[in-house]
Amino acid sequence: MTTATTHRRARGAATTRTGPVEARRPCPPRRLLGANLPYQLLTFAVFAVAWEAYATVWGGLLLPTFTETVGATFQLLGTAELWQAMYVSNQALVIGFAIAVVIGVPLGIVLGRFRALERFADVYLNILLVTPMAAIIPLLMMSVGFGLASRVILVAVFSIVMVVVNSRTGVRQVDPSLIEMARSFGATERQIWTRILFPGALPAIMTGIRLGVGRAVTGMVLVELLMVSAALGGLILEYRGLFRAPMLYGTIVIIVAEALLLISLARWGEHRLTRWSKATTARSTR
Amino acid sequence: MSAPAAARRRLPRRRVPAGPISLLAGAIVWELIGHLAGASFFPPLSTVIGRLAGMVTSGEIFASLADSLLNLVLGFAVSLAGGLLVGVAMGRFRKVEAALGVYVYALLTAPSLVFAPIFFSLLGEGRGSIVAVVVMYAMFVMIINTASAIQSVPGHLVEMARSYGASETQILLRVMLPAAAPMIMAGVRLGVGRAVTGMINGEMFIAVVGLGRIVTQAGGRFDGAGVLAILLVIIAVALGAVALVQAVDRKITGWVPQTSRGH
Amino acid sequence: MIEVRGLGKSYIGQDGGVVQALQDVDLTVADNEFLTVLGPSGCGKTTLLKAIAGLIPWNEGDIFIDGSPVRGPGPERSMVFQNFALLPWATVLENVAFGLQMRGVGKTERIERARALIETVGLGEFETKRPGELSGGMQQRVGIARALAVQPSVLLMDEPFGAVDEQTRRLLQEELLSIWEEHRLTVVFITHSMEEAVLLGDRVVLMSARPGRISEIVPVPLTRPRSSDVGALERSGKYVEITAYLWDRLRDMHEERRPAKAGR
Repeated sequence: MTTATTHRRARGAATTRTGPVEARRPCPPRRLLGANLPYQLLTFAVFAVAWEAYATVWGGLLLPTFTETVGATFQLLGTAELWQAMYVSNQALVIGFAIAVVIGVPLGIVLGRFRALERFADVYLNILLVTPMAAIIPLLMMSVGFGLASRVILVAVFSIVMVVVNSRTGVRQVDPSLIEMARSFGATERQIWTRILFPGALPAIMTGIRLGVGRAVTGMVLVELLMVSAALGGLILEYRGLFRAPMLYGTIVIIVAEALLLISLARWGEHRLTRWSKATTARSTR
Repeated sequence: MSAPAAARRRLPRRRVPAGPISLLAGAIVWELIGHLAGASFFPPLSTVIGRLAGMVTSGEIFASLADSLLNLVLGFAVSLAGGLLVGVAMGRFRKVEAALGVYVYALLTAPSLVFAPIFFSLLGEGRGSIVAVVVMYAMFVMIINTASAIQSVPGHLVEMARSYGASETQILLRVMLPAAAPMIMAGVRLGVGRAVTGMINGEMFIAVVGLGRIVTQAGGRFDGAGVLAILLVIIAVALGAVALVQAVDRKITGWVPQTSRGH
Repeated sequence: MIEVRGLGKSYIGQDGGVVQALQDVDLTVADNEFLTVLGPSGCGKTTLLKAIAGLIPWNEGDIFIDGSPVRGPGPERSMVFQNFALLPWATVLENVAFGLQMRGVGKTERIERARALIETVGLGEFETKRPGELSGGMQQRVGIARALAVQPSVLLMDEPFGAVDEQTRRLLQEELLSIWEEHRLTVVFITHSMEEAVLLGDRVVLMSARPGRISEIVPVPLTRPRSSDVGALERSGKYVEITAYLWDRLRDMHEERRPAKAGR
């Protein structure tokens, strides 16, 4: 507690308490993460205890305790059923997301490069951004059935908007004088794309890919929960139907954990690539 | 705000109304493909509009629409209140941010619908669960935006208020909240979009009321025109909700210069 | 009267070392005196001002205003900020009335007093404009009006004209002189301009950096009122002499710091 207050005053933030204060010994600046960890653990502990207490007193068939859930989560991790479901879910995730990136990045760059096109596409992108995509699931079922294809398409549709919008923004942010510069050195249109537009837009593209991963996981879970009842989503529905609450909660924990893991991975990748490209843009603008 | 100057600056951008033309072209393409394909899952636009008109005249859409809007309004109101409260607390007190920050971020990025089965089991098969799903979708983005909005209030404004003996409440109400309003409203705009998504997804999962239920039912009947007709209504709800927030935003943050309004 | 006794303030810098922002600062400002504080950047002049304003804590010493110790901001002091610190969403009138509002002055009286001050600084026709629609000089006029509206006996000014262009700055200096001649206030005015310090001040406090302390207090024996003919004043021998002297002293300070910098 004292660490946080001293830290604050040391940064020169105006406090309401003014007037003379006793001289204090200088302390080494703490890493932010280290300072936060106790609070994070405290929050988690409070949450876990509250859950445990609530579930013990009022819990029933559909509300497991915290400890039961933790137990079920580990138990699930040992079952073949879960890993089979994981495999099936992630198959759709990987294929769908790959399609979104392969189509979305070039599409976004094209939209960003050709303003006229963008002005006409804008209205659709805005609609896609706010439209609850889940409502097209019934159409997918009718057209391509309940198999892998419909899940792949939904994952792709979910994530592609983020990829397109961010790639477009990235290209728009590229300094037009760089294109003129490249032209003045006789660069071809192809060279302008590969040497100027793509690297310049890369940080924003990576942001789009990171956000896209999040949406892809959402799409995967959504289609399984709402329509197909396959794989991980199917497990949730199955356990719910069987009133196996701890297993139900355990599956949810695992899905959330996977989503957070994938998003963190994407963020890490974004950081690495962005750092490299930041150095390049800094050099080229000087 | 100098209205003439703003108008002059905005004029050159609106040469051709690209949006309406683009929508019209899209409608024509849809109509043509619909006729050529002849598939039940992709009927032409005219069929969809006819179906929509049928739903409107028979009145069957209104009950669902009203249900959905009620879910949306309830969920959004809870999200807004919670988002502002927690966001301001996180923005003002470092310890609150340290304690909650990671979890809010995690819940923002996690697929929100997986929590629907939990609400379903806790709150039962009804409106409560759907509202909870809406909150799950909409609240966290508002918390994050409010917190960082409060944190980025210029220090010299707070210092200025202090120099005039302002109390902590006065600083919050007269300086911090107005200064943070543009960024908070950006979060609210994102939040309302997510709220609509949460409403539809929640209603599709807990199919007892609303547009989400009838779109699922139409899918079950292999009624492609019905699905698309309801989808049009959903898009209208989403765009309408966002437009409403934008109108409120303009009213609250009219002082922000047009040039620095980058959405 | 402002009395600063043995004021010292240190904080922990970004590299983890202790930075002595102020050390053993002793200063007395008489009632209705116009005191200017001059020094190289980093000499703690703004820190000194904010301490007097009661906005920041310090480690050693005391500050008294008319005999009572400073424990926070008080109604007898008001401050004019370098970057204006105007509320961008509020009109000129609302900005000028802000200090009064914080002190619980009723709405009618607040508006009346604010209007009068807006007239004083010559912004009568702009009272419904917002800061974003005003030039820098006009914004600082609003800042000055806001500070005067609470009828302070001490006006604390932190490089108030540092962010405006040269010509506007000249106009604002003349206006400030005539306002001060009329209202009779105690002013502590921070600046990094020697000319400004001499033109405005009764005395110039020269501060040196690292640690920040008062190196010398130079009296300015120029006649008052000065607002009527600033041009003649600037051509006078005394004015030229004092500015030249101040520059000599400041240059010495910069020279002293140079080898230290090279040695790092």
